[in-house]
Amino acid sequence: MFGATLSRWTMSYFAAALIFLAIGEVMMVLGFGYPVSSIEAPETLALVHTIALGWLSLLMAGALLQFVPVLVGRPLSLPGLALPALVLLVVGITGLVLGFVSLAGAGSFSPLLLPFGATVTIAGFGLLVIVFATTLWQARPLPLPARFVAVGLGSLVATIALGGTYAFVLAGLSDTQAAIDLTLEGLSLHAALGLGGWLSFTTMGVSYRLLTMFMLSPDRERQSSRIVWALGAAALGIVACIVPMILSGSAGRVVLLLIAALAGVIAIGIYMADIVRIYRGRKRKLIELNSRAGIGAFAALTVATIFFLALAVSGQIERGVGPLVYLVTFGWLTGMGLAQLYKIVPFITWLECYGPLLGRMPTPRVQDLVVETRAAFWFRLFYLTVIVASAALCLDNASLFRVSSLGQLIAVNALLWEFVATRRLSNVPSNLRLSGGFARPHLFFPPFQSRRQP
Amino acid sequence: MQPTESEELVERIRDALRMIVDPEMGSNIVDLGLIYDIAVQDGGLVRVTMTTTIKGCPATAFLKEAVQNCVWYVPGVEYAEVRLTYEPPWTPEMMLEAAVGL
Repeated sequence: MFGATLSRWTMSYFAAALIFLAIGEVMMVLGFGYPVSSIEAPETLALVHTIALGWLSLLMAGALLQFVPVLVGRPLSLPGLALPALVLLVVGITGLVLGFVSLAGAGSFSPLLLPFGATVTIAGFGLLVIVFATTLWQARPLPLPARFVAVGLGSLVATIALGGTYAFVLAGLSDTQAAIDLTLEGLSLHAALGLGGWLSFTTMGVSYRLLTMFMLSPDRERQSSRIVWALGAAALGIVACIVPMILSGSAGRVVLLLIAALAGVIAIGIYMADIVRIYRGRKRKLIELNSRAGIGAFAALTVATIFFLALAVSGQIERGVGPLVYLVTFGWLTGMGLAQLYKIVPFITWLECYGPLLGRMPTPRVQDLVVETRAAFWFRLFYLTVIVASAALCLDNASLFRVSSLGQLIAVNALLWEFVATRRLSNVPSNLRLSGGFARPHLFFPPFQSRRQP
Repeated sequence: MQPTESEELVERIRDALRMIVDPEMGSNIVDLGLIYDIAVQDGGLVRVTMTTTIKGCPATAFLKEAVQNCVWYVPGVEYAEVRLTYEPPWTPEMMLEAAVGL
């Protein structure tokens, strides 16, 4: 069997993720969290987890449910766990965010929501790790993009283990010295493994496959891509190894962090060269909007890496960590996420509505489900606001940041509306819209009678 | 079936398959090079060997079924069998000029 199944719950993951993104954008517009509050403030932690868990992690999980089978060429194992995982994650992340809000004194919630939310979130991710790890295990030997996903999943496990510890410490439920040491010193590891490992490294791996697939570029595994994987995996492995070193009080942690950072920077440099090669080597002359919009994300990753190097050389990491994390989170990860959603949503919608009609009657192309000229404007506005907001953070100008976040909120909501129009088949020529008497697809729930592929 | 009749049937099947457009690529599956072989045997038995642009593509079963239905309705075909293969894997070089300009 060669086929992959159409993931039933991916659209639901995307819908939940986009709602969390819109909430996060509203928080930034209202000045809830950094830069109005300090970077360590509970308000900022609420904002960071709304974006990193609610938006980016749910988006990544939904995308992996659809694309891990494509990466390994076999169906997903235990697909029935996708829905309970989604429910646990939405409940858990909401609890976690409200727990941080309670720590900020901004609501009448109990701080116990923090460990509750963390536990439920870990349970949700645990189910997903079981699904993906089982699928990958059964597909050995893994192709290179899937090996990136495997390392990303390892990073996720380490990230949520650290995060769970912090939640219990911050809620006052754990006062062991080891847990307190980890909370005081391990926060950067938590962020590095989450943003750098789970979200970025996995995105890099999937992008190798998706970009070559959508642009018809040469698909063979390159030595340079293997080096990116090896360096990235080594960097993340070193970061993870620092956790037991903190617990045992071992010396040499700073040196190891520097080595990991250097390996990570070199990996990103080689990765960017690979990406340029993929774009230049494409057979498809016309670059579709998802790939064009992705260029902004790659530019943001490049700028963030150069910015990180400049901060490290000048010894000003702590001063610049805010704009750096913003650029990675919004420029790179959010930009790439929105760009690829612009392809994945119509693709899944086409499969749902027109796949069974293929060859029986005229069907639209996937591209007929979108209007690129309209969406291109909103992508341009999105990246403009990322540039302005990053500059505002560098200049410590909270007002400018809030104004640019308002622009970003508008751009994100306009793109969200484009996704809804795609799901509603609004852009499809009327003669092809609902041919064969097929009903309009649900906005974000799967069809009740799913069609499984053999 | 005479060799010339057989060749004519293969051409008719190839023409019919040009009606099936790959939803993502926007070009028909023949010009994309997804049809590896069309073999006609006595009694109107037709075996089509095809591939998809990537292994594990979620549209695979739909494309295979579309090919099966399409071939079945070509006059002269009594039975159609579609085999999916990834040996050799599809590469963009397999596209005809008409599809390259996408």
